[in-house]
Amino acid sequence: MPTETPRKQFQSPKKPKQSPNNVKSQSSTPSIHLSPQTPQLPLRRSSRRSLQLFTSKTVDEMLDLSTPRKALEALDGIGKCSGNNRKGSSVRTPRTLKCKFNEEDREIPEMGKVGEGNGEVSPEALESKKRKNGLSEEGSVKMGKSPKCKLNEDLGKLGEGNGDVVSPEKRKKGLRNEESVKTRKSLRCKLSEEEMEIPDLGKLGDATFFPVSPQALESKKRKKGGEKRAVTRAMATRSLKKVNKEEKKGRKRVYYKKVVYDGGEFEVGDDVYVKRREDASSDDEVPEMEECRVCFKVGKGVMIECDDCLGGFHLKCLTPPLKEVPDGDWVCGFCQARKLGKDVEFPKPPEGKKRVRTLREKLLASDLWAARIESLWKEVDGSYWFRGRWYIIPEETASGRQPHNLKRELYRTNDFADIEMESIIRQCDVMSPKEYAKANDQGDDVFLCEYEYDIQWHSFKRLAEIDNDEDGECANGDEDWNSCKEDDSDTDEDMEYEEENERNAHARPSTTHQLAANSRKGRFFGIQKVGTKMIPEHVRCHKQTELERAKATLLLATLPKSLPCRNKEMEEITTFVKGAICDDQCLGRCLYIHGVPGTGKTMSVLAVMRNIKSEVDAGSIRPYCFVEVNGLKLAAPENIYTVIYEALTGHRVSWKKALQLLNERFSDGKKIAKGDDRPCILLIDELDLLVTRNQSVLYNILDWPTKPHSKLIVIGIANTMDLPEKLLPRISSRMGIQRLCFGPYNYQQLQEIISSRLKGIDAFEKQAVEFASRKVAAISGDARRALEICRRAAEIADYNMKNQISSVNSSTVKDVVTMADVDAAIQEMFQAPHVQVMKSCSKLSKIFLTAMVYELYKTGMGETTFEKLAMTCSCLCTSNGEAFPGWDTLLKVGCKLGECRIILCEAGDRHRVQKLQLNFPSDDVAFALKDSKDLPWLAKYL
Amino acid sequence: MGREKEKEKPSEKALNLLRSRLSDPNFIFRPLSDSPDSNYSKLKFIISTSVTEACNNSILLLGPRGSGKVAVLELVLSDLLQQYPEAISVIRLNGLLHSDDNCALKEIARQLCMEHQLLFSKVASFDDNSQFMIAMLRECGLAHKTIIFVLDEFDFFAQGKQRLLYSLLDAMQSVNSQAVVIGVSCRLDVDQLLEKRVRSRFSHRKLLFLSPSKEDTERFMEHILSLPMDSSLPHNYAAEFNGRLKKILSDERFKELIDTYLSFNFTIGHLVRFLFQAVSYMDLNAGFLSLGNFKTALSSNQRQLKLESIRDCSVLELYMMVCMKRLEVKEQTSYNFYSVMTEYKSIHDSFQTSDYYAANVCLRAFEHLLQCQLISFIDNKGHNQSVEFRPVKLLISSAELHLGLKSYQQCPAILLKLMDR
Repeated sequence: MPTETPRKQFQSPKKPKQSPNNVKSQSSTPSIHLSPQTPQLPLRRSSRRSLQLFTSKTVDEMLDLSTPRKALEALDGIGKCSGNNRKGSSVRTPRTLKCKFNEEDREIPEMGKVGEGNGEVSPEALESKKRKNGLSEEGSVKMGKSPKCKLNEDLGKLGEGNGDVVSPEKRKKGLRNEESVKTRKSLRCKLSEEEMEIPDLGKLGDATFFPVSPQALESKKRKKGGEKRAVTRAMATRSLKKVNKEEKKGRKRVYYKKVVYDGGEFEVGDDVYVKRREDASSDDEVPEMEECRVCFKVGKGVMIECDDCLGGFHLKCLTPPLKEVPDGDWVCGFCQARKLGKDVEFPKPPEGKKRVRTLREKLLASDLWAARIESLWKEVDGSYWFRGRWYIIPEETASGRQPHNLKRELYRTNDFADIEMESIIRQCDVMSPKEYAKANDQGDDVFLCEYEYDIQWHSFKRLAEIDNDEDGECANGDEDWNSCKEDDSDTDEDMEYEEENERNAHARPSTTHQLAANSRKGRFFGIQKVGTKMIPEHVRCHKQTELERAKATLLLATLPKSLPCRNKEMEEITTFVKGAICDDQCLGRCLYIHGVPGTGKTMSVLAVMRNIKSEVDAGSIRPYCFVEVNGLKLAAPENIYTVIYEALTGHRVSWKKALQLLNERFSDGKKIAKGDDRPCILLIDELDLLVTRNQSVLYNILDWPTKPHSKLIVIGIANTMDLPEKLLPRISSRMGIQRLCFGPYNYQQLQEIISSRLKGIDAFEKQAVEFASRKVAAISGDARRALEICRRAAEIADYNMKNQISSVNSSTVKDVVTMADVDAAIQEMFQAPHVQVMKSCSKLSKIFLTAMVYELYKTGMGETTFEKLAMTCSCLCTSNGEAFPGWDTLLKVGCKLGECRIILCEAGDRHRVQKLQLNFPSDDVAFALKDSKDLPWLAKYL
Repeated sequence: MGREKEKEKPSEKALNLLRSRLSDPNFIFRPLSDSPDSNYSKLKFIISTSVTEACNNSILLLGPRGSGKVAVLELVLSDLLQQYPEAISVIRLNGLLHSDDNCALKEIARQLCMEHQLLFSKVASFDDNSQFMIAMLRECGLAHKTIIFVLDEFDFFAQGKQRLLYSLLDAMQSVNSQAVVIGVSCRLDVDQLLEKRVRSRFSHRKLLFLSPSKEDTERFMEHILSLPMDSSLPHNYAAEFNGRLKKILSDERFKELIDTYLSFNFTIGHLVRFLFQAVSYMDLNAGFLSLGNFKTALSSNQRQLKLESIRDCSVLELYMMVCMKRLEVKEQTSYNFYSVMTEYKSIHDSFQTSDYYAANVCLRAFEHLLQCQLISFIDNKGHNQSVEFRPVKLLISSAELHLGLKSYQQCPAILLKLMDR
């Protein structure tokens, strides 16, 4: 299959394109035969019906198991009329769908009717559809388009589309077309009726449709697309409301996690191609395989993809032919020539044959859309729908395609739409850059998505690497979806509905009143506005050097793949936590972890919790809840109750109320909500900050685990070893039993930590790393320091290198961090800069300091007063031929030194009786001033 | 007349030009920023790499007051804002204004809201604001935007529990953010003030701002004071101005003068202030700088304020001070108005001076001395006590007093005698 080697950092070795034999059957295009469809309404109408037919049939088949053959035959009948390629898949569908079907579906028209002809649909169904469509049509009314002209447009489109359709489908399509005309006509009058009642709705729509969106959408074509989408989006909410109303009458939507539809399996989270408009593409059959750009055959030979134009070439068709796929980027001869400024024409396809475009090409030419499935459900009438999140191509954004965009780049938008499953063509693969870099031969439908695009603010934002929150929600919802319990779904849907509302509210700032971004009520309201208007070039076009990679991996924020040197401690934590959770009684326990900063306390606990969570996901451990609190991030110690309660239940109350509720839960064993019986692990970082005067906060928290049914496990982290001993005995007896000490790292450990991060990056001399780790181990054993020193050293090396390159054009400098760089970094980090300041300070300051050292030495005292010092100063000056500047000037000089904290002094208005003290050892002063050039005589007094 | 006017005009123009140059930090620090060793390029490198490589950094800018820490930082920031117009937002805090964690966070939230056109609420709590800040850090990180926190007077942030610094630095090491914390302080030991868990999270980059070397100072003065040849100023005038300036700059006396000035004020800020003074003394009729201008500026900088205030005192006040000095010589460390009065009386008794005044007059003199801060109360206790009972001390040394008496014109001879005895 074709691969793409994206530019620069996404390089991947090229793999040969494979022959079409390997194409999965799944990727066959199941719905080609259908009439033109876009996610919009007119199309929906027709498409839904066909789906209905289909489903009804399958249901009947299921019910009528006694005559399986008949059913199959009937199916075949449909299959025949709808084109051969449909056949296989359509047979398969019913079976897979079977389990997911609901009783409601029984009211679907009977089989006989269906068999008779596709043309006729039961009037009720039509009616209901019309209602819906009418409703949604209003959306477009509000947008300034009369429904008529819209319909006409669509009709025209339809007609065009059908003109090109190939024979076997013709009859059916024709029929359907006629019918859709009918429907539309009837709809028109319906519409006019309904228009009367909706003005209020219309207003609503208005307000929501054109929010204070910064600019109108750009080019015409795009505009159209954008508006259409807006319609669909509006419809999404509206239809949902509708459904919800209906629900109350007893009908429900059923949500699924996975649907097998038309032979393809679609799951929540999948990415799919969605039809846009058929008229633009005359080629209805979608090629499974890309054709060679030279010979226009899909032959079996190995193909290679050009990194510039994405065209595929047989190795043998190239001039000169290639034996194998080369490593690195490869650009075809045409593109090379074009780059050189020549006018190149690709070889024309042979007469009568049009070059067939693949889906990928169509998508990138915006003839197709791609969307990500957010949720799947079956409508009340049995049709399958999904909520899609659109992807757009760079050309559709406000900034257009930027030169550093990749060829296969897509953006995820914050635009949602409810789309019928029928309009799905097939799956595609939209990947994060990391996956993309790894994707070698996953076919042509591979895309890269790194950014989210805000359609209102036209801004880009990187996708968060881990969508933890969303995934978590999904995971929770899964169980319900899998079990497909109808009675359950009521609450679920309400929730969903709320969520939806929330999302919509999120997407459009209401014009009436905005909430403040930083207040709790409007939590982060409007924060989605934050984004770049353009993707900065340096992100993409910049190739990282070894040093830069080293710097990036040494960052404190980057989470290393492995956490060396803390295995023992992590094991201990794991056994503690597991023992506590798996215990049936779950007797509450308490663990106190202490150690100096930067020894990996919090990191280890979090890593353990991650491991355990993955075990929970695997199902080997019961679920639990995990609450993390940092004492230093609380405004007051009491706020911890609020935070814990909020983390457990999601409600925010005052701390007194929270304390009461938590007491009820943990001490009295009252379990209110569903998940309350889960064990709860509470991690309190910087525990010492919770110590209040009467220590009640700590007492309360540590008292809960001792209660019989609390199921609470507390892990406290602090720096001081003897914190429990400093506390009241009733607290230390509850906390001090199990302790874990994180000792400072020794130099081997530090070295291992650094080199494990630097694995595969050749940027450091080995001794340099050792030097840094030895130095840090001797001082504090703080891993953060060690990492920072190395990063700083890399930065210094990088700086020197870049400067040298810019000044001299020779690249003789090795881009390796040497001992000297590390030494410079260490100096900077650990050495106080006072010696340098003393060396460079003014003449009088130097005299002042010398006089001070002399005076202190003479008297043997720790401090002196300004009067005495001034006397000494004037003595020194007169005996060495310097002019004594006067007392006031001297006072000023002293105060300036005091400002820098080279000396400690009282405020200057104390004048004569001002007390002075040296802030650094007098040896430092002696060292700094001994060989000053302008005042050589100073050395005498030091 | 007309000629004179024409002549006046260029000199006024030149004066304005020089003054505007001297008050523009951009102009002052630009020429010092070329070399790779300069703080400017180092700082720029650090910040721009954290913009381009999406990393977090924390830097301390240290140096005595007037050494151009903030000026260089502003220069770097303005350059980077031009280079990456969208990718940087700067949050400025000052330790003198926002040393309280709560109000600092509020200010951060406010500036973030301003920067991104969000609505800001004054009543949001500490928690809300800190969560908002962390969320913004994350969002900005995702949008390739760097937030630069400039914490001026950094030492004031290192007081108390240091919640702000902790949450800021902790967010920087855990969240997917892109931020630079720049602390500016004149205290050299500021990193020792940080709590150990905060210090561990701080990345300890330090840039030290020192005073320029002698050669640099000379180059710098020439750069600032010489007029441009290709401006609206008449060519002849500018040429002559620069010629005279060169002569002054190479003059030994001038060098000595600058040396004396720099021997007590050594930072670049002070030098600029000095030059500003000197330029302001320029004679507009002559239209050129002269050595005299610099001399006047220097002498106005070398004023001995205590001596001057002695000169302003009345004879009675001098008597009182001499009395206090005598008391101190007698090793009587604590004295108040009445003990001074006793001494004064005893002097009068033994020497029969002509200047003897009643107690209430003396009290007035005493109060005036307090106001001049030539004497002060020993402690702040006893505010409700009346002035005459509170112990005071002399704030001027005997040497200074002696000098002062000598330079005092109508000083009675007896006073000088009393001083010695």
